[in-house]
Amino acid sequence: MQLRYVFTELRSGLRRNLSMHVAVILTLFVSLTLAGCGMLLQRQADKTAEALGNELQILVNLCVVDDPNGSPTCGGGAVTDPQRKAIENALKENPEVESYEYQTQEEGFEEAQDIPQYEPYFDGPDPIITVEDWPPQYWVTLKDPKEAEGVKSAVEGLEGVSVIQDQREDLEPVFGIIDSLKYGSWIGSGLLLLASLLLVANTIRLAAMARRREIGIMRLVGASTLYIALPFLLESLVTAAIGVALTAGALAAFTRFAILDGLADVIEFVPWIGWDDYVQSLIGLVPPGILILGPALTLIPTLLLTRKYIKV
Amino acid sequence: MIRFEKVTKNYPGPGKPALDQVTVDIDKGEFVYLVGQSGSGKSTALRIVLRELRPTSGRVYVAGKEINRMAGWKVPRLRRQVGTVFQDFRLLPNKTVTENVAFALQVIGKSRREINRVVPETLEVVGLKDKGSRMPDELSGGEQQRVAIARAFVNRPMIIIADEPTGNLDPATSVGIMNLLEDINKRGTTVVMATHDHGLVDQFRKRVVELDQGKVVRDEAAGSYGFQH
Ligand SMILES: Nc1ncnc2c1ncn2[C@@H]1O[C@H](COP(=O)(O)OP(=O)(O)O)[C@@H](O)[C@H]1O
Ligand SMILES: [Mg+2]
Repeated sequence: MQLRYVFTELRSGLRRNLSMHVAVILTLFVSLTLAGCGMLLQRQADKTAEALGNELQILVNLCVVDDPNGSPTCGGGAVTDPQRKAIENALKENPEVESYEYQTQEEGFEEAQDIPQYEPYFDGPDPIITVEDWPPQYWVTLKDPKEAEGVKSAVEGLEGVSVIQDQREDLEPVFGIIDSLKYGSWIGSGLLLLASLLLVANTIRLAAMARRREIGIMRLVGASTLYIALPFLLESLVTAAIGVALTAGALAAFTRFAILDGLADVIEFVPWIGWDDYVQSLIGLVPPGILILGPALTLIPTLLLTRKYIKV
Repeated sequence: MIRFEKVTKNYPGPGKPALDQVTVDIDKGEFVYLVGQSGSGKSTALRIVLRELRPTSGRVYVAGKEINRMAGWKVPRLRRQVGTVFQDFRLLPNKTVTENVAFALQVIGKSRREINRVVPETLEVVGLKDKGSRMPDELSGGEQQRVAIARAFVNRPMIIIADEPTGNLDPATSVGIMNLLEDINKRGTTVVMATHDHGLVDQFRKRVVELDQGKVVRDEAAGSYGFQH
């Protein structure tokens, strides 16, 4: 296939509609950046909830050997199986409890690795905190966040319970901020995505108008639909590529300056997202990452509209 | 080569059908005039051959294939076998004569080598050997129509369809265009030409199919234009 024509057309198409293409790229850039921030914030919320529980959860730490809290209910050293059974029963029977989950020492220790404030304790050849020091935990989800006293008093005095952690008051503002930022990003992103769809549609229409004569002749002499559509598709792909590249840069800056050098230094009891989450926001499948979202947003309307304008 | 079986075409809206139970059979290598008053359905019939339009009922065969039931993706292949020429030339104003003719080959994926060989050859056939680098607006109407014919013929189609190709030309120039179409026909290409140019039809005697309000009212070998205008 001879593609010289396609590339000549691509170049003249990009030049002809330069202002429209710039408009598409900018809206796409801002909307994708907002979508990406929304995805990162969602991952932040998930990660926080995984490590510290969400705003509906309290944590029941069980005893370990040489319990650091020196709790009188830890007299017998590490929690025993019968003690654990009794604690679990108390949770099962309590009307304030929606559900509960048991987390082993290993699982808890693993989750805690990402929390900045613990970092110094895990470091070195002879770390201050090891797996054995990390308490096994019950993660208790409440039916009503305002009613926790009943379950707390039911479990508090039981043998094998070291301490009850209720971090909901600390976590609430964190989740509150993350949630409002997240929904803000998504709404803004949604509106701008709509705007970029309309801009793409308009660009295609203008381009099809400008090339009406050529398209008519191409159809007449038997050029394939794909061949006729190719300059349009490539034009869209170029704008998408530029939009995506700008977005990847902006999200990298967000991850670097807002998260790693910003929030993570200030709020230390929360595990923060990092570069692996950034990569996911680019290439993830669910929710679709920027690398999928950007081209899809320009190519799908282009395909639909070129089908309409160049119908054989 | 082209066969219409009881073809009827109704455009949306009220009014008589543009084509009404038309049955015509055109053999390979024939030269056929399609005559009739303005609005008698000539252009409609030609557009059906290209599958730019689909008939409301009836069957249409082109080069042995029933084109109405043909899948959409095969339509480009059909059109590569049918060259088209119009009254208004339809050249690209920003391309030279050579580029205009080459365009038809480029967009169907022919190699540059083949294009460089076939385009000058075809320009010679239409008598524009020396004018390849001219722009369309530097040519007379007759010469522009020759470029359009070159573009239609450059891929050596089996059929050439011409819708009033001399409609914008003076009589002397029209005769030149007719000579050219005749020449192309002698090379084996089937030519179907819609026209209401009496003089030409009477001068170059060919088969005449006459339409009146969408019906075939005459089909005569080596006919004259007839009495109506
Ligand atoms: N696109 C169209 N929509 C509706 N009616 C049409 C259309 N094209 C042609 N017609 C009608 O169909 C009839 C035949 O038209 P046409 O095939 O163009 O005739 P001719 O080429 O012989 O002048 C006319 O009555 C014309 O008004
Ligand atoms: Mg007509």
